[in-house]
Amino acid sequence: MNTGQPIILGEMPSLSKLYVNAAAAAARRRILGSPAGAGLPSVGHEVRGVQADVGNLTAYQHLIGETASDVLPAGFIHALAFPVAMSVMNRDDFPLPLLGMIHLRNVVEQRSPVRFTEPLDITARAEALRAHRSGTQLDLVAEVRVSGGEAVRWRGISTYLAKGVFLPGIDKASASVRPEDFKAPDPTAVWQLGVDAGRAYAAVSGDFNPIHLSVLSAKALGMRRSIAHGMYLASRALADVGAAKGDSFRWDVTFEAPVFLPAPVGLDISTVQTDGAAWLRSDYVAWNPRSGRKHFSGSVAAL
Amino acid sequence: MTDTYTRLVSKGLGRDVAKKLGLPQPAVLRRYEPGQPLISGPVLVEGSSPGADALAAQLLEWDLDVRRHAVPKERLGAIVLVLDDLESPADLEQPVLTAAPSLRDLAPNGRVVTVSRASDGATPAAAAVRQGVDGLLRSLAKELRAGATGNGIVLAEDVSATSPAALGALSFFLSGRSAFVDGQFVRIGSTAGRLPADADKPLAGKVAVVTGAARGIGAAIARTLHRDGATVVVVDIPTAGDHLADVANEVRGTALQLDVSRDDAGQRIIDHAVGRHGHLDIVVHNAGITRDKLLVNMDHGRWSSVIGVNIAAQLRINEELLASEHFRSAPRIVSVASTSGIAGNRGQTNYAASKGGVIGMVRATAPLLAERGGSINAVAPGFIETEMTARIPFATREVARRLNSLQQGGRPEDVAEAIAFLASDAAGGISGEVLRVCGQNLVGA
Amino acid sequence: MSVDGQSVTGPEETTNVRAAGSPQSLREAQSLREAQALRKAVVVGGNRIPFARTGGAYTKSSNQDMLTAALDGLIARFGLQDERIGEVAAGAVLKHSRDFNLTREAVLGSALSAETPAYDLQQACATGLETVLGLGNKIRLGQIQSAIAGGVDSASDAPIAVSEGLREVLLDLNRAKALPQRLQILARLRPKDLAPDAPNTGEPRTGLSMGEHQALTTAQWKITRQAQDELAYNSHRNLAAAYEAGFFDDLLTPYRGLSRDSNLRADTTLEKLASLKPVFGRNLGSEATMTAGNSTPLTDGASTVLLASEEWADQHGLPKLATVLDGEAAAVDFVHGKDGLLMAPAFAVPRLLARNGLTLDDIDFFEIHEAFAGTVLSTLAAWEDEEFGRTRLGLDGAFGKVDRARLNVNGSSLAAGHPFAATGGRIVASLAKMLHAKGTVDGRPALGLISVCAAGGQGVVALLEAH
Repeated sequence: MNTGQPIILGEMPSLSKLYVNAAAAAARRRILGSPAGAGLPSVGHEVRGVQADVGNLTAYQHLIGETASDVLPAGFIHALAFPVAMSVMNRDDFPLPLLGMIHLRNVVEQRSPVRFTEPLDITARAEALRAHRSGTQLDLVAEVRVSGGEAVRWRGISTYLAKGVFLPGIDKASASVRPEDFKAPDPTAVWQLGVDAGRAYAAVSGDFNPIHLSVLSAKALGMRRSIAHGMYLASRALADVGAAKGDSFRWDVTFEAPVFLPAPVGLDISTVQTDGAAWLRSDYVAWNPRSGRKHFSGSVAAL
Repeated sequence: MTDTYTRLVSKGLGRDVAKKLGLPQPAVLRRYEPGQPLISGPVLVEGSSPGADALAAQLLEWDLDVRRHAVPKERLGAIVLVLDDLESPADLEQPVLTAAPSLRDLAPNGRVVTVSRASDGATPAAAAVRQGVDGLLRSLAKELRAGATGNGIVLAEDVSATSPAALGALSFFLSGRSAFVDGQFVRIGSTAGRLPADADKPLAGKVAVVTGAARGIGAAIARTLHRDGATVVVVDIPTAGDHLADVANEVRGTALQLDVSRDDAGQRIIDHAVGRHGHLDIVVHNAGITRDKLLVNMDHGRWSSVIGVNIAAQLRINEELLASEHFRSAPRIVSVASTSGIAGNRGQTNYAASKGGVIGMVRATAPLLAERGGSINAVAPGFIETEMTARIPFATREVARRLNSLQQGGRPEDVAEAIAFLASDAAGGISGEVLRVCGQNLVGA
Repeated sequence: MSVDGQSVTGPEETTNVRAAGSPQSLREAQSLREAQALRKAVVVGGNRIPFARTGGAYTKSSNQDMLTAALDGLIARFGLQDERIGEVAAGAVLKHSRDFNLTREAVLGSALSAETPAYDLQQACATGLETVLGLGNKIRLGQIQSAIAGGVDSASDAPIAVSEGLREVLLDLNRAKALPQRLQILARLRPKDLAPDAPNTGEPRTGLSMGEHQALTTAQWKITRQAQDELAYNSHRNLAAAYEAGFFDDLLTPYRGLSRDSNLRADTTLEKLASLKPVFGRNLGSEATMTAGNSTPLTDGASTVLLASEEWADQHGLPKLATVLDGEAAAVDFVHGKDGLLMAPAFAVPRLLARNGLTLDDIDFFEIHEAFAGTVLSTLAAWEDEEFGRTRLGLDGAFGKVDRARLNVNGSSLAAGHPFAATGGRIVASLAKMLHAKGTVDGRPALGLISVCAAGGQGVVALLEAH
């Protein structure tokens, strides 16, 4: 697919500019129609020498319930890499509309820990454009290395869905798989998410997507209320898994129903151990305690 | 705690106004503080018997300024009338009238103490004059002013005026310890007793239990016994435990939360005192309750609870004490009775029955304790300024507190001083007696 | 005896001793010998103030007020005025920052010698029991001769924190040097920052209240509403009977007009308890069973325990009620749902008894803190469960059965209330008195077991023996 050298950006793209661009592009598309071609951009983007801000890191760690250590939480690295990934989706040759894309799934491999003192090179590229029963999906793959280093320390695959967009040349997905019946277990925790949960995460992650910020801004984009960032929820679940996950792990999450704010979120974390009682995996699932609808589920497993 | 009225009329303009209006002019009483001299000013010892000589010699030994003959116009601290050799009413005039002019020279808060013989077993003429001293002293006490008091010591046959208990009583009457005791007699029944090595610590080395010690008179008793050198165990019902703890900590003693009407109260008192402090020497039965009601409206609850706590409990505890091997070395029991138990009080049939009962119990128990050198006595308080009497309506309270020769209410400490004296080694020759601490209340004996 | 037990707890401890020959191991051997000459730590007695439901008699009383009152009552009971006690340790779960030296301040306000040292300790609801074990160990080691252990808590006078926003602004303001900088910082304030932050009993890592956690455990162990109500009923009945019998006459000093625990309902009935509506676990799949009647209410109160070496107690003519034999702490992983929040004692007790060569049948009095009726019953159910015994405790089968006639015989927290840190002292003093009264059983001293669960998935348990 796109194996070429990435385009090196001079500085970290500004997310707010990207959102403005995306809005402009959406307007353009409405007038001019979709760009020709159904292929993904053949190049990725790279930003070098990215340095985490320690104040921001601390605020992030406190918000999601991690101890403020020097190691960057896997979700924090996702937030660092997010503008790079966004910039790829913001390219003119990107075939799908950025605004309104739905985060379906996220998989992170934290291969070895990254400290805030280490400058990072972050690459992102789009892959695996494919059909979804209700649109078109693709993977945004981001990789993080310590500047100048070869080894990928962190690799994230975010799967997004452009709902209702069907590109020519991509077969429609076969009949939709009925989601399994979900029966909420007894919770191990219940989070009380305030109406400001979206703003609070935006402040530490830089992701000021209007659908997360307020009822008004969310309504402007067709949501009935603001919704919690998916990666905020997943990062809290990761934090709740605790120290058992160690330095290197695989962390995945599948998002289902969004969490409209404010809301309680029921959570169940269960641990899977080896016969020798060593930690193997923690599975988590979250739901709405009132309706019983599943919000997301995932697991954290030893790499 | 001198009442406002007494403070007001004791000096300056208030005094002058009260004098003009003929209002009562209660004095600020001289009360004992450690280190204080027994009495300030010379002591006139009147009487010509060998007892009078011996007593005068003893007072000299106490470093008092003793006069055997009055010096005109000299302010006197006290007059001791030794009348222990009277055989007929005619014998009374000479010593009494000799001493009479000196009454003018008696200093404020001065003392008159008679020393006479008991009338029981005497010839009719001797009995007449001896009982006559009773009437004389009680009347004289009513004539004294400015905080001065008159009290008497009655010696049984074979008990000399210088026996330990007689000297103990004399020193009690002379001192500020007896501030609110007026017009009263104590009878010295035997030569038992021992004067203290240190007059300021007469209870040194003693372990004393005080019931009902959480507040009021009981708390004052605990403080006074502690001041006099005793290790004090304070007892009160569990619901009064917080106040009790405060008292215990103040007197460096131990608190025992115990309802004295429990069947095992006596044993628990003994166990606590002996277990914690090694021995038990003094028990002060102060715990008491009132449940006032006219007899016509009296019910079982009011009656039985008052009898149960005020007298039945004391009887039961005394039985345990008498049976205990830990209460054998010159033990002391002092019970708090009440002038109600002597003179009666409207609405207090149950209370007066219980307090009269205490007096009877004390008399009957005295011989039982005599075998082991012990004694048991009662103190009957009159109107004492306490939290309880503070709740009496103002007018009633004002009348009650002025209805005595000292024209004021007593303080809890006044009761405590009398109890501390009766609990001391010196008082060993006094047993089965009731000592009133009432300022010579007009009602009652 | 526990020394013997400790020397066989694991190979790590014994290898050091076996490596004889080197000077270091000789020293170790010597210190081991000395350690075997441990003294006994005895419970002389205790004092607490009545426990008051929050918002009741102690509404305006601070932790320091209540702890001082409990101390003064103890001092009065045992004549400790002006005594220099070896050490005083106490704590509170809900604590003001101004109370950084709570126990020492209480000592200074009490009738004890001002030369008595003190420290604060905090292990959630196990605080009180842990102070007893820690100070008991110091006495056993000969470091001190006497000690007062205790705990206090006020949910009425609980600290209210300012919001995170206001707090950060205030701290930054304090650090700022110039006026413009200060104004800039102040401009960050938002109206919502001015709303205070009240403390809650929620677990920080799960956001669930203790009651919600217990509701999960109660459901997991299938504890019925009726069983919980019966336990609550017995607690009230037993506590009321103990008061009637004068059991608390020398364990408690009235305070602020209270002379009995204000939560006690001597006249409660099973019918009344059955009529209450569930308050916890209403969103669970199973029926909600936990009511205000079978859960402890928020309570204010304080307790103290006087501990001493035998020599000190004898010198002071003080009673020796019971010996503090041994203690054990445990914790569970409730965050990941492995065990219920309050189930740690289910693990601590088997370890403690095994170390001392005892079984549940050897225990004459069980004092299992009733955080909730469900807590006690879940613990008992776990001990009676074959699978739990095998898979979680590593035993051949079920751990054992507690004779219910020996359980909380003078009432426990459901009736008395539970001022978090004060509960341990309440139990230790009461149990010591019960053991002393019982004396010997079949020729051996009576044994008592205390179990206290605590926030954070913790549990502390202790073994006391009649002296």
